[in-house]
Amino acid sequence: MISLIRSEIYKISKQSKTLYALAAILIIEGFVIMSAYYQGAGIIDLLLDNLKDSFEFRGNLLNGNLIIYLILNSLWFHVPLILMIIISGFLTSEYKDKTIETVMLQPVNKLDFILSKYIVSIVFTLLIVLILAVSTFFISYWIFGYGDLVVYLDGLNFFKSDDAFYRLINAFLSGSITMIFFSVVSLTLAVILKDATKTWIVAAIFLICSNLLLKMDFNNDIVNELFFSKLTDSWQYFFYYEIPYSTIYFKNLLLLGYSIVVMIIGILIFKRRDIQ
Amino acid sequence: MILEARNINKSYGSLEVLKNVTIECHKGKIYGLIGANGAGKTTLFRILLGLIKQDTGTIEIDSEGIKPIGGIVEKPALYGYLSAYGNLKVFAQIQRLKLTKELFYQSMNQVGLSPERSDAVKNYSLGMKQRLGLAIALLNNPDCIVLDEPFSGLDPMGISALHELIKKLSRENQITIIISSHIVHELADLCDNLYVLNDGEIIKSGSANSLLKENVTTYKIVGKNLEISEVLKSTEVVYLKNAVFVSLKNSNISEVLQKMIEEGVEVTSCIPQTDFKALFGRERV
Repeated sequence: MISLIRSEIYKISKQSKTLYALAAILIIEGFVIMSAYYQGAGIIDLLLDNLKDSFEFRGNLLNGNLIIYLILNSLWFHVPLILMIIISGFLTSEYKDKTIETVMLQPVNKLDFILSKYIVSIVFTLLIVLILAVSTFFISYWIFGYGDLVVYLDGLNFFKSDDAFYRLINAFLSGSITMIFFSVVSLTLAVILKDATKTWIVAAIFLICSNLLLKMDFNNDIVNELFFSKLTDSWQYFFYYEIPYSTIYFKNLLLLGYSIVVMIIGILIFKRRDIQ
Repeated sequence: MILEARNINKSYGSLEVLKNVTIECHKGKIYGLIGANGAGKTTLFRILLGLIKQDTGTIEIDSEGIKPIGGIVEKPALYGYLSAYGNLKVFAQIQRLKLTKELFYQSMNQVGLSPERSDAVKNYSLGMKQRLGLAIALLNNPDCIVLDEPFSGLDPMGISALHELIKKLSRENQITIIISSHIVHELADLCDNLYVLNDGEIIKSGSANSLLKENVTTYKIVGKNLEISEVLKSTEVVYLKNAVFVSLKNSNISEVLQKMIEEGVEVTSCIPQTDFKALFGRERV
């Protein structure tokens, strides 16, 4: 198993699409920073216009913490979409180039092979989120400096700079579990569909539907609490004044459970199917 | 016996691809599997290699090695973005084999590839990819190698080089080799035994020489003054420029050639032409 994981890491490190994934993440980050740099002050003024009549604002609200929060919001769609495309490609490219046949012609266990793909996909996801977080914190604080964070979440919420830093770090950690779920789903879709284009389309539809269903009220408390799409926003809960830790833990654990179930489905399908 | 596949059946829906196929292979021998396109050769090979499961039947490989059987199905599938070293490293690593510099050089030299080349495999010719695919198949010293259409797409030099390599592997390493092709003459001088697959059934088997000899009724004779030969006129003959196709039913080719030489015909070559209809047992071939 270790040797399979090492060979997967070696292959990923040599593939140009890995660099494309990193470049895509950094480009998104760059766009957010650039637009904030040129238009951020105007937007903040517009947002706080009414409040300025009643309250006195001190310091610069367009600061590093706000930029990090804006980039954090790419966890809704941009980052999972890129991850799903890249990670499904780890398997679909093996089907397209038929290298999966050459692998299976060696004394390799099918279970070990697909499990190593899942493990490496999870590690890759965590690495991408880590790179996004580290680069975001570094660049945002460097260009925009420190300051209090203002967030609109069921109303405007204000957090002190130190508190904002703590919340942002935890949001990235919690968001990485959501990213793992989408990555595992994309690899399972690749197992089922084998074809890259079909997998990308279905993965994108899955992501869009998941985001739409998140906002939908099912008129059923159990479904509203346990359905997978209702679990993908736990990282946003760090921006309520009172952080609902028990809800966040529950959501993340259940989403990890969903990830394991999806992974087991993918493994069973892969094991049962012929390689062709 | 190193490999025995007995009563193999495989269907896709209502389509029966393999019907009670049985083959037996001995150590160090080269076996050919011939048949028209769609006869079931690749399916049988995929089953032998464990890529797909047979519906019924058994496969036994008498080997105690880590890798009892290796092979290439259709075209060699390699990681195009990796070098030859990268490919060998990946495929060695997944079978817990450490690719030392010595092993890399040995693997490359064994298949006649330069170990010095460091560019991506996507730049390689098909013949070079076949050789690298073979080097990968030979990692961990399998007792049996299965090669599906290995000559497909190769130029004459590539075919000749691969012939020599396969013979060398069989002779020097005592590896059992099973090769498929729909081009019979490629296998004729390479294989010890042949199996003929038609519509998913083994319809003939035996030594390559005898099986091909049984199915040769026409010869291409090349030479000068062919038109003066009276013995040719007494046979079923088609004249070409400096060549004839002679179909013999009751006569012996050596007798015909002897008489032609006595008549003053200068014969430069005589090439047996396999009757594919007879060999494959179907007229569509």
